[in-house]
Amino acid sequence: MRIYQVALKEISKRKMRTIYTSFGIAVAVSMLISVMITASSGQKEVFNVIARYGHSLTIIPVDNKSSQSLKNFGIGTGTYIPESALPDILNVYQEAIVAGWEKLGALIFQEGTIGGSAAFPPPTFAPRLYEETIIKGKDVIVGGVNLEKELIARFWWDIAEGRFMEHDNEVIVGKLFSTHTETKVGDTLDVGNAKMLVTGILKETDSPDDYMVFTSLKTCQTIFNKQGKISMINVRAMCPKCPVGEAAVEINKKILGVRATSQMEIATAQSQIFQKTTALIVSFVVASLIISCIGVFNIIMGSIHGRMREIGLLKALGASKTQLVRFFLYEAIIIGITGGVIGFVLGSALSHIVGPILFKDIVIQVSPRFLIIAVLLGTVASVLASIYPALYASKIKVTEAFKSL
Amino acid sequence: MIEIKDIWKIYQVGDQQIEALKAVNLKIEKGSFISIVGHSGSGKTTLLSILGGLTKPSKGSVHIDGIDVWTLNDRELSALRNQKIGFIFQFSSLIPTLCAIDNVSLPVIYGNRVMKNDRKKVYEYAEELLSTLGLTHKLTAFPSELSGGQQRRVAIARAFINKPAIIVADEPTGDLDMQSENDVMEFFSRINEEYQTTFLLVTHNLALARMTDKVHSMKDGMLISANNGGSPS
Repeated sequence: MRIYQVALKEISKRKMRTIYTSFGIAVAVSMLISVMITASSGQKEVFNVIARYGHSLTIIPVDNKSSQSLKNFGIGTGTYIPESALPDILNVYQEAIVAGWEKLGALIFQEGTIGGSAAFPPPTFAPRLYEETIIKGKDVIVGGVNLEKELIARFWWDIAEGRFMEHDNEVIVGKLFSTHTETKVGDTLDVGNAKMLVTGILKETDSPDDYMVFTSLKTCQTIFNKQGKISMINVRAMCPKCPVGEAAVEINKKILGVRATSQMEIATAQSQIFQKTTALIVSFVVASLIISCIGVFNIIMGSIHGRMREIGLLKALGASKTQLVRFFLYEAIIIGITGGVIGFVLGSALSHIVGPILFKDIVIQVSPRFLIIAVLLGTVASVLASIYPALYASKIKVTEAFKSL
Repeated sequence: MIEIKDIWKIYQVGDQQIEALKAVNLKIEKGSFISIVGHSGSGKTTLLSILGGLTKPSKGSVHIDGIDVWTLNDRELSALRNQKIGFIFQFSSLIPTLCAIDNVSLPVIYGNRVMKNDRKKVYEYAEELLSTLGLTHKLTAFPSELSGGQQRRVAIARAFINKPAIIVADEPTGDLDMQSENDVMEFFSRINEEYQTTFLLVTHNLALARMTDKVHSMKDGMLISANNGGSPS
């Protein structure tokens, strides 16, 4: 038998005390673990959102003399980017992305393969031409799009009724346009001088698209006599961590007459707010862990006072101060590990309850590293709470205990 | 050999100083079998705890085999208590969470002397001691499952596990019936003869004291007389 085995026997025989003490640790650890699991899963959700929405650029002409009504939509007409500038912009973009990755020390194996083994498709440049016209007596913006690329850039686009346009004389309309103008699939709209068949109605997107009419880029350019011109380019990076901000800077520097804006900043700001909120919650929970430590400290001190006779006896039998400290720290470690494991189980369960309340559609991912963190936290908390009691016990005078033996 | 020189123990209780021991001098030769008798409060237990390295005297020195006990540091004093002295306390003194055989083996654990191969020998010796004291059937019993007398016998077995040179016993047969008391004294006598173990017994029981080789009397913190006892039988 070794000292740790004596401690183990002590703990196993004093089950209720062990349960109380471990539970004190477990409650705080479970709170911390549930916050960490939820935050980690939530962070992944935020990264997914960033990957989906944040890693993109909007490129518009610099001298944008948009009309008041169009400004409200954040889009403009009147100035254009020549379609012929697209390859140059793409070139500058890709060079900037590669340079950005190199700065980060990542490996680039081939075009579209960034950051080591993960392969990403090349970026999607979806050009749009906006033209203002009157349809059914209302001011409407007609958007000319390259449907194939648009469906990648705006992957949330979906058809509520009908189908996407397939021919030059076909259009789709936004949900709110359809509602306000009572337009249905199969109707014919006068767009400029052309008669266009409505083949589909978009699902609501909570964006200006809901008020617009869309046709192919080529058709739009033809109808409004804007061949070779585009109003903006939506860029989707297609890789979650591409340095698109740097690409925007390079495009603005090297391509005259355009202004590229990264939407990453907004997503990053959201992520930072999330991280700060998480840090705040964690600090509250750490405070509760400290309170738990005080509770454990009290239980252990109480236990030491109740075991004065035993401690004196152990000293009389030859236990040194170091051995007594070790004995109590072994107890603390066992209690900490037990509390950590229980805390992990409780925390995991709690995160499955709290997570979905805080984040819609969150997928709670309980990684084994949280078990390691829980056990470490429990053990450290328990040991910290036990250091003073252990030292106190080691200094108990044998005579005090000897009198009571 | 144990040599106690001019030992004083003074307790401060409020404004009062209580002299528990006054200028006690005593020489105990190796292999002696002696007892100390006296009324309650005469200083018997205090003397025992000072020479056992448990209580520091206010003045004076205790030498065991030439070592000045109270100049040792904590680790050295712990080692001395563990390896040279076997304690039998006045009342039950078992660890409640350990079974009888583990309680007996406890001093070996704290003596850091259990090598992997020795562990079996330690348990074998603990079992032998418990068997000698009539507890063969109680090896794995916990203190709560033992009677007062059985607990006392486990504590006695524990005092012998490290084969100490000195046994310090405070009312060692307090909870035992007459037959068990005789058995224990016989056991002490055998160990004393076989290993030349020094025995120092504190007791109220004059009949028990007479079984030892020499009986010292204490009164008011002083050793007042020494008489030859009889041999334990």
